[in-house]
Amino acid sequence: MKVSLFITCLSDAVYPRVGETMMRLLARYGIVLEFPNVQTCCGQPAYNSGYWKEARAAAKTIITAFEDSDFVVTPSGSCAYMVHHYPAMFEEEPEWQEKAIQLQKKVFEFSNFLVEVLGIQDVGARFPHKVTYHPSCHGSRLLGVKHEPMALLNNVQGLELVPLPFAEDCCGFGGTFAVKMSDISGAMVAEKAEHVIETEAEVLVGLDMGCLMNIAGHLRYRNKPVRVMHLVELLYEGVNYSDEHAANRA
Amino acid sequence: MSDHREDWLKQLDERSKQKQEQFLSGIAAKLNRPRVTEKPQRPLRGAPEFWEQFELSEADKLDMFQRNFEAAGGYVLSAATLADASSIIASKAAELQALHVLRQDVELLEQLGLEQALPQVNVRSWNDDQHEDWKARAAEADIGVVLADYAVAYTGSLALMSSKTKGRSVSLLPTLLVAIVPRSSVVTRLGEVLKQFDEPQQLPAGIHFVSGPSRSADIENDLTIGVHGPGIVYTIIVDNL
Amino acid sequence: MSTQQTELKGTVKERAELALNNDFLRQAVRFTTERLRSGKLKAAEEHGNWDEWRERGRQIRLHTIAHLDYYLGEFANNARENGVHVHFAETAQEAISIGLEIAKAKQAKSAVKSKSMVTEEIHLNQALQSIDCEAIETDLGEYIIQLANETPSHIIIPAIHKNRYQIAELLSEDAGETLPPETSVLAGYVRKKLREKFLQADIGVTGCNFAIAETGSIVLFENEGNARMVSTVPKTQITFMGMERIIPSWADLEVMATLLPRSATGQKLTVYMSGITGPRRAEDGDGPEEMHIIILDNGRSLQLGDPEFQELLNCIRCGACLNACPVYRHIGGHAYGGTYSGPIGAVLTPALQKNVAEWDDIANASSLCGACYEACPVKIPLHDMLVSLRRRKVEAGHDNALERIGMKGFATVMSSVKVYHSALKLGKIGQKAVVRDGGIRVKIGPLKGWNSYRVAPSISKQLFREQYSELRSELGQQAKEADPAVAARMQQWLTGRDGGASHE
Repeated sequence: MKVSLFITCLSDAVYPRVGETMMRLLARYGIVLEFPNVQTCCGQPAYNSGYWKEARAAAKTIITAFEDSDFVVTPSGSCAYMVHHYPAMFEEEPEWQEKAIQLQKKVFEFSNFLVEVLGIQDVGARFPHKVTYHPSCHGSRLLGVKHEPMALLNNVQGLELVPLPFAEDCCGFGGTFAVKMSDISGAMVAEKAEHVIETEAEVLVGLDMGCLMNIAGHLRYRNKPVRVMHLVELLYEGVNYSDEHAANRA
Repeated sequence: MSDHREDWLKQLDERSKQKQEQFLSGIAAKLNRPRVTEKPQRPLRGAPEFWEQFELSEADKLDMFQRNFEAAGGYVLSAATLADASSIIASKAAELQALHVLRQDVELLEQLGLEQALPQVNVRSWNDDQHEDWKARAAEADIGVVLADYAVAYTGSLALMSSKTKGRSVSLLPTLLVAIVPRSSVVTRLGEVLKQFDEPQQLPAGIHFVSGPSRSADIENDLTIGVHGPGIVYTIIVDNL
Repeated sequence: MSTQQTELKGTVKERAELALNNDFLRQAVRFTTERLRSGKLKAAEEHGNWDEWRERGRQIRLHTIAHLDYYLGEFANNARENGVHVHFAETAQEAISIGLEIAKAKQAKSAVKSKSMVTEEIHLNQALQSIDCEAIETDLGEYIIQLANETPSHIIIPAIHKNRYQIAELLSEDAGETLPPETSVLAGYVRKKLREKFLQADIGVTGCNFAIAETGSIVLFENEGNARMVSTVPKTQITFMGMERIIPSWADLEVMATLLPRSATGQKLTVYMSGITGPRRAEDGDGPEEMHIIILDNGRSLQLGDPEFQELLNCIRCGACLNACPVYRHIGGHAYGGTYSGPIGAVLTPALQKNVAEWDDIANASSLCGACYEACPVKIPLHDMLVSLRRRKVEAGHDNALERIGMKGFATVMSSVKVYHSALKLGKIGQKAVVRDGGIRVKIGPLKGWNSYRVAPSISKQLFREQYSELRSELGQQAKEADPAVAARMQQWLTGRDGGASHE
């Protein structure tokens, strides 16, 4: 069985630890992720701005990369959802459209893969901190990933999960929106960050580095010491902690 | 109406029928198919099927109607008989120091005997005299009294259908509205009333659902009652009618 | 009342900036949309099975639009049978001209209007004023902004951008005496003032929430009672409706009456829901003697047959998308620059006007979060439509030159992993000049917008793909046995999907 990693350009270039922790976490279950190197970017920045020709150029690398994978796991609800746009994007190229349709069936956002495909809700992690969760728009609203991250977080020992006020409100990233409509985006991320600070959480966790980069960037700008992590980073740190704990007691 | 006006309207109607053809052919062309002139098949019509099964007991219906109507700022009272209802109206008239009361010209409302119960008050009956300016009478009325055709529990609404004797103005222009509702006219769902209008018939010109006093939150989201329609609305549910 | 309306100047970005700097506006819009949004969520939950109702609403609208020629024809014919004079107007001009013809024939000196977005769209009031017919808005919020000479900033609550002091000032001027900034006093004044107007008006103008094809009836939803006034008191009634506002039957109205008030304000039903079937009957004591319905196209038919936009015609104008939209919440309605604001406005304004060259940048004022789609009672995929608009603008060559160049660069880099990798290697070197403590704070060029509100991250010293092979061999060596339960589930999944075939 070939289980592949769709790293996303953002994690590849800026947040490689997300990829690393995902590999290490899944290796504990005997799954060593393949990494088809031809993958670059899902094409979303171009797609959202209406540049579908350019988006297709990127998308082809993704389709090609995973042609012979059984499962494709990605640490981003946004990029996973982007694959659902591929069949419409390749309307004029039936060969690629067919491949896109096949790819759609195999792509899974990370927490969805862990809970629904692998049947794992408790990774045996211990993370004794106050944590709040931001549900990224594409992942939760459009892809429908809602209960999976909650199930995983609720099973982490010692973790105090505090609800984020107006959690479902967009953080203002929207990819190129943050650059093109920077003032509106700035107002939105400021509001989101306020809510995070209100919770007095030590850690902000989420499923999408785009959103997290956005919120973290603003928190840092305001010198707020909230730690921002991807769910997989938190879970991996949690199992490490757990392992050490067990080792110390042994 | 003058001949000139009639001609003008006829002209407009002719023009409109031609334009209609253009419009409808244009629609069909854009939809890339020939004109549809037969009623299309429709597997889904109206509310979801499970909703049609929703039916409350009489007690529950009355209870739900009251809760909803009162939540919207209306008042609901019960009366065993029309005579009791009449006393209630009389006391409201006294409270309000009402000078003018206007009721629909309907048998059951005549039986209220308001003219006798309120001798100091000018009680009029809608449209019983064709030379009267009824809109002005309605505008000056302190209390309007109507007989509701139905009351809907789920939405807390009164259903009022207009006619010669049941003017729309009676439930709209006066300051306080009283609606008499026969207990047996209370239904559970809005659809139960609406469906009747799909039966072949000549519909009244005005079918009005009233779910409480007139309101607005247009000024800084601050709720205010009694903007254009009646600011005080009473429903009196009468048992034996 | 003067006829000039404040011209909306500048680009979306500029207007948005104005809005963002107006604290009162932002507070007011936020408070209002919060109230309406939570009201809607509560009402939907209380009612239950909300998604099934939405689907039913969607199906009814889809079916009606797909057979619009039939249903519109039925509606017009049945309305005529009730004694209504039906008119068809392809453009806003035509609708105005018909409306004015009727007003002139009546020698109308005053017209009272209930709230109607369609009449805003065609700028009816100005036209009536031009033939010396006073056009009076009677909805409290609309009356206020009419005095202020402004356009509505929200579909349901038009004057949310005004505070009570501003409103008191406007109404005091109108009254010729000082009125205190207290809601009940201000509303009381308007009630009294408009009473007279209702009773004296020659014409009553209404919009139309739904038009029932099978009986030729129009349905009006409202809370104040002014639409009832307008359709009961004056001798002549003119109803303006968009050609897509049709539903087949009264049974279908139950679905709309369930979805609309809850989505708009969280109410079970608006205080008044009125079904008007023709002018008064000969024996009636009130109601208009003459009734006209003007059916307007104005770009609506352009959506028909367009698979990306036909669903736009499903819209029931509830405003739920406005209340759900985080962008709207921050910039308010006027920043959108058209009659319709919020997500529906962002799509409707360009769509009604198929001329791509004239499209404003309004479709860019969205992060594509999908909250509008989630809130929409008839499930219109507005978030997808925004992307379609952007794509059409690009394909028509009306995109921003810099962006086009940037995207070409994107394609070059992303189409080949070699180029991609080289670009990142270059980037790692290039960023050295500006990275401090792992972050980038310079506010120049493309980074200006981002770094005005954030610290940007830097490209990692070692990309993930540069770490992979080492990581892979490390984990491969540990060679953990595949967890049997996990392996079984994956196999099950594969079987369910493509009959168990796997790629070993």
